[in-house]
Amino acid sequence: METIKRIFIILGSLDRRIIFLIVGLSVLIPLLKPEWVSIPIRPGQESQTVLDEINNLNAGDKVLLSFDYGPSTKPEIHPMTIALLKHMFAHDINIYAVALWPDGTFMSTQAFSEVAHDFGKEYGIDYVNLGFRPGAEAVVKGIASDIPTLYTIDVRGTSINEIPMMKDIINIKDFDFVFSLSAGFPGTTEWVQFACDPNNIPLSTGLTSVMVTDIVPYLDSGQIKGILAGMPGAAEYESLVNDELKKINIDGKPGKATSMMAAQSIAHVIIVIFIIFGNITYYLTRKNQRKEN
Amino acid sequence: MTAELLGAWLFVLLTLSIFSFLYKDNPFYKAAEHLFVGISAGYVAVLFFWQQVQPNLFGRLWPSRIAVDDGSILYSIWYTIYEALNFISTGFGVLDRSIFPEGGIKGYEEIRMIYIIPFILGIFMLLRLIPKIGWLARWAIAYVVGIAAGLRFYAYLNSDILGQIKASGINFTSDWGTIINSLILLIGTICGLIYFFYSTEHKGVVGRLSKIGIYFLMIKFGASFGFAVMGRIALLIGTTNHLIDYSSVEYNYSTPIILIFIIICLAIWSFMDKGGENIESRA
Repeated sequence: METIKRIFIILGSLDRRIIFLIVGLSVLIPLLKPEWVSIPIRPGQESQTVLDEINNLNAGDKVLLSFDYGPSTKPEIHPMTIALLKHMFAHDINIYAVALWPDGTFMSTQAFSEVAHDFGKEYGIDYVNLGFRPGAEAVVKGIASDIPTLYTIDVRGTSINEIPMMKDIINIKDFDFVFSLSAGFPGTTEWVQFACDPNNIPLSTGLTSVMVTDIVPYLDSGQIKGILAGMPGAAEYESLVNDELKKINIDGKPGKATSMMAAQSIAHVIIVIFIIFGNITYYLTRKNQRKEN
Repeated sequence: MTAELLGAWLFVLLTLSIFSFLYKDNPFYKAAEHLFVGISAGYVAVLFFWQQVQPNLFGRLWPSRIAVDDGSILYSIWYTIYEALNFISTGFGVLDRSIFPEGGIKGYEEIRMIYIIPFILGIFMLLRLIPKIGWLARWAIAYVVGIAAGLRFYAYLNSDILGQIKASGINFTSDWGTIINSLILLIGTICGLIYFFYSTEHKGVVGRLSKIGIYFLMIKFGASFGFAVMGRIALLIGTTNHLIDYSSVEYNYSTPIILIFIIICLAIWSFMDKGGENIESRA
């Protein structure tokens, strides 16, 4: 028993750099050798709700897609963006992209270039990218009240008067659905508070894991219809969209989030083990100190 | 391909430089950190200017002259100011026109003089750089704070306070599971609020309820911590994925080469720094 106690105390005084290395390896190995770790993806209720909400839209319906993230949170959000675009393009939904984050424009441009061509979608007719405007909640408020005043040109510098799909767009009420891909402020909260809640427009969101606990109250109150929570949410949605695409005879490639989930799960196991070890060590050390005193 | 290759090498160098902080604070990390802050600030400033200030402010104040000019003297004076601004922005005629194109900015068909107010307030904001008249910046800041407070007040009251109060009600017509769930939420909300109620001493019933509130708050913080860890690991996975991609022959083995280079440099730096001051104490 004393030997076990001593081992725990030694583990507790482990150099933090060794812990970093172990966590790093727990991420690296499943990425290098995915065949070693195979973890099934079971879609949760919230991801299913998002899928159902998009399925309930009709061809030609207008969806406002807000890119409120940047390269720093790309691994979590971008896979869900790609899955979402595939799903919406497969249902012939018209997409209007905006960005509340400066680098959101990069994300939207990249996402459209990855997906639009595969579904034969044309810029200005099936989708438009209005780009970034500074002002955070003021921009959301502007979209809710007067889009032509706020967006005079799109991301390519074309006047919005020359874009066919912008013809009848005045404000948020002209959209059938809003989807916020959000990594913080400004993002989902601002869409709830300034646009969707006051105008009764259905809103769904894809979030980074850090934001989930702040946004869940809106979900419980029905102000948001379904959330995709971090990388697991992205993987679940990818799997649901792939099944959906197969139903309409479109061959869906496996998404990036699915392939990264094994690494995520192993890293979580390692971190949980370290937390348990850390607590036991803390308890034993405190007990020893009390004895000495 | 050359640009892509250069981008990949730069990505790997900067990423590994940031990761090198896990060993300890070092010159690679410092350089990458400063570069990141500088480039981010520069990029955002340029983007703000070209996506908002130039088309939406200057574009509204000085739209294409052909669309608005009826030949009156006032228009000539107004566009003389435009030309003066162009003269300053081109470094007194040294550079080519870019911010103020010939004959006005395309996009609008009428002059919106009301935009002179944000233009002046914007200039006031910059006057912070001149200590003597820096106080003028307070007017601009007051305007921004006032607008933000006004905007937020109604939205927060409507969506967060009223919306959440409505949502915390119990629907007794639903199934038992939902009723119990709503009841737990209601108790948690009330006890959490009591914990933050400082007008009464937390003793007796109030003390016990606030203690329950602490447990609910602990659960919330625990969930937030768990999600935060999950998010950070996801970001690590994304970055590691890129590093694996860039370690292939197409990118001339950039990851292993730069990794070895950084390790050697850090080893030399650590050896030379032994017994001396570290980078933090020098800063």
